[in-house]
Amino acid sequence: MASSTAVLRAEPIQLPKRLLALLPGVGLLTIVGLAGKALEKSISTYTKAHHLVVPNIEYVLWAILIGLLISNTVGVAGVFKPGIATYEFWLKTGIVLLGARFLLADVLRLGAVSLTLVLIELILSIGFMTLLGRIFKLSPKLTSLLAVGSSICGVSAIIATKGAIEADDEDASFAIAAILALGALALFTFPPIGHWLGMSDRVYGLWAGTGVDNTAEAVAAGALYSDAAAKIAVLAKTTRNAMIGFVVLGYALYWAAREGRQAVGSKATFLWQKFPKFVLGFLLISLLASLSVFNKDQVSSLANLSRWAFLLTFAGVGLRINFKEMKKQGIRPFIVGALGEVVIAAITLGLVLGASKIVKL
Amino acid sequence: MAGETKAAEKQRRALSLDGWAVGIALVLAVLVRLGVLKHVGW
Repeated sequence: MASSTAVLRAEPIQLPKRLLALLPGVGLLTIVGLAGKALEKSISTYTKAHHLVVPNIEYVLWAILIGLLISNTVGVAGVFKPGIATYEFWLKTGIVLLGARFLLADVLRLGAVSLTLVLIELILSIGFMTLLGRIFKLSPKLTSLLAVGSSICGVSAIIATKGAIEADDEDASFAIAAILALGALALFTFPPIGHWLGMSDRVYGLWAGTGVDNTAEAVAAGALYSDAAAKIAVLAKTTRNAMIGFVVLGYALYWAAREGRQAVGSKATFLWQKFPKFVLGFLLISLLASLSVFNKDQVSSLANLSRWAFLLTFAGVGLRINFKEMKKQGIRPFIVGALGEVVIAAITLGLVLGASKIVKL
Repeated sequence: MAGETKAAEKQRRALSLDGWAVGIALVLAVLVRLGVLKHVGW
């Protein structure tokens, strides 16, 4: 009796305990995000008051920089780590809520353009990364992981593929480190290139969504340009994420055949398991907005809730990057990744600029 | 084998994370629609 009571008591304590463990990290995300927002505002107020002409640095960059500074100087204590890991939850919640700012017709039209570009990008980037892996004599499974990571959606795709092709932990860590480092670089290179080329918000957003690997970095690269660019980057990146199941299935079948193992059971179940479900949430909110379920003020509230969720995401992007840890992974995968990324960025830039001449974006 | 289990666990968690994100976003959307959450600023 006593033991069953103990079990009954222990159960409800589990969830609050887990939630409590998240609090310090979520608190840190909030502080870093708010500090970024406050810095943007105070610098803008100061420059206006003193009639200084200084380019506005968005809260996104400040939040990432503050996070990077903390992570690479004092470091992030263990107590904060579970909460910082929630950045991905905030990212997905923000994307679903952002659906309110899209009419379904827009999603379908832009989604069709994105899908065409994504399909071409997938074929070219997987082919190119595989070739680079062979030239640099990386292990075939590490090459597969790098190819998936750089062509689809970074870390999630690498984790999904790792399980499907039975790759080593070490290979997955190498690939993840390379993709994260390159994602961080994209934050500082994509916006200046976009401005230099005089790209419109929509064209730039499409480029960030198809060219930057990890979802958080793709959204941040869009937001660093403008709000409108972030919106399009989210749509393009979501389209790319939706392809994850097909690519992982392709790799699973290839490696199963190569190693003489039994391939996956039901392909439809496999595809459904790998499909990122938040895409469905995004489409549902977009459908509700298209059916005028929300009035103008409510759409604005949902969009602002989405921005608050992204604020925590951007703080997390900086806080989880640790250059020392990345250095430990070695330079070769990073070089392969970097070469691949430059080419993929150039390919996607060409595709997006070409598409903008053919289709009205 | 251990790596495989770890990857499967990560994959399972990623899926439940999607579920939580969609769930919370829908709850927020309902609260906004019902007028419980009004004029969310930025």
